Amino acid sequence: MPVPQQFARGDRMGRGPYEKSGLIEESGLHPGKTKKEHFQIFFPEEVKDLDVHVQLWYLPYGTMQSDPFLWREYKKSVSISKEGK
Amino acid sequence: MKLTFMLVLAALVLTPAAGFAAEAAPPGGPAKGQIAAKKKAKTIAELVAMYDSSSCVECHEEAHQQWENSVHSRSIYGTGRTAATFRTALVNGLAEWPFSGVKGPGDVKVEHLMGCAKCHLPQLADATDAVAKEIMASIYSWQTAIRKQDSATFEKEQAKLKGLNINCLVCHNRQAIVHKWTDGYPQAGVVYGSMDGEHPSDKFPKMARSPIMGESILCGQCHGLGPNLELDNPTQCATAYGSYLWYYRAEGGKETCQECHMRKSGLGHDMQSYRSEAMNKMALDFEAKADGLYWRDGSQVRPYVSLAVAMTNRAGHVIPDG
Repeated sequence: MPVPQQFARGDRMGRGPYEKSGLIEESGLHPGKTKKEHFQIFFPEEVKDLDVHVQLWYLPYGTMQSDPFLWREYKKSVSISKEGK
Repeated sequence: MKLTFMLVLAALVLTPAAGFAAEAAPPGGPAKGQIAAKKKAKTIAELVAMYDSSSCVECHEEAHQQWENSVHSRSIYGTGRTAATFRTALVNGLAEWPFSGVKGPGDVKVEHLMGCAKCHLPQLADATDAVAKEIMASIYSWQTAIRKQDSATFEKEQAKLKGLNINCLVCHNRQAIVHKWTDGYPQAGVVYGSMDGEHPSDKFPKMARSPIMGESILCGQCHGLGPNLELDNPTQCATAYGSYLWYYRAEGGKETCQECHMRKSGLGHDMQSYRSEAMNKMALDFEAKADGLYWRDGSQVRPYVSLAVAMTNRAGHVIPDG
């Protein structure tokens, strides 16, 4: 979609660079700003070791089907103690 | 406190007179001296010839090679996606809007393409409507060639579309002066950069200092303020310069576009964004921390991973943008 389909009226705006003449609020990540997320991922039953793999993808066209770009990633094997109650 | 204020005021009064006396001649000249002043281009070939900077490579080979790798060198064609987007602009936009005056590619005028071309090909403003129609015809022909696997036509149209770009003369002449009533209009035969003087070239025998060549406003002409609403049916992609002014500079950032995208990155005229490793590293801090914990909920004990993720924009503009 190369031209805006939403025109900053009421509660409707679009995603993507072409839609910026119809923006109502800018939700991008601004210079110097930090975005934080916290996740709690429960271990499956009987599992004591879990490989955590975090990927940050940039999706210029909004989906993984269209020119996705892997920006950063993080891997760690997380273990929990096998003793105690 | 009062004495200090009075001294500052005196300095302000005295400074302009001395400043005016030392001012150099404006870098530009009358509007009639511009490259496009004599006539508008009637064909793509004429428009390409009007802003032909192929002779620059003789002396500026490194800059030329850097530029060739940048998307500035194929600003209409892009990876092919940009060219295709011009067509969908017509199909999904212009042809659907009741007052655009466009039903098909044959109706397209320069004004219809300026939503895209104001950044992708600003010199289109120096062409007649016949060039706008020829661009659309070339894009349609190129897409038909893809469908029919007609490689000869594909390559011919691709080469034609790639000939339309943001080349040396677009930045170092046409866009080198923003405030034209103040500094004059960019003059034909002059290359605007960081120096005044003679320039060893038959086509461009003079150099002049552009007042903005090292300033972010040069890039801001296309990588815009936004949303800009100046067109009859506004469209806007880039708002990078706006966020640069209103977030980055306002929060104490001091770099210019050129300092990050050309000098610190080491990319020179190969200006890139996130797909460049150098820009990629500079643009974003990313941190993740993961630990395992037990969570006792009544009689049930469940282990989980506590994962904290943070990303900080280190670019001088909003992400995403362009």
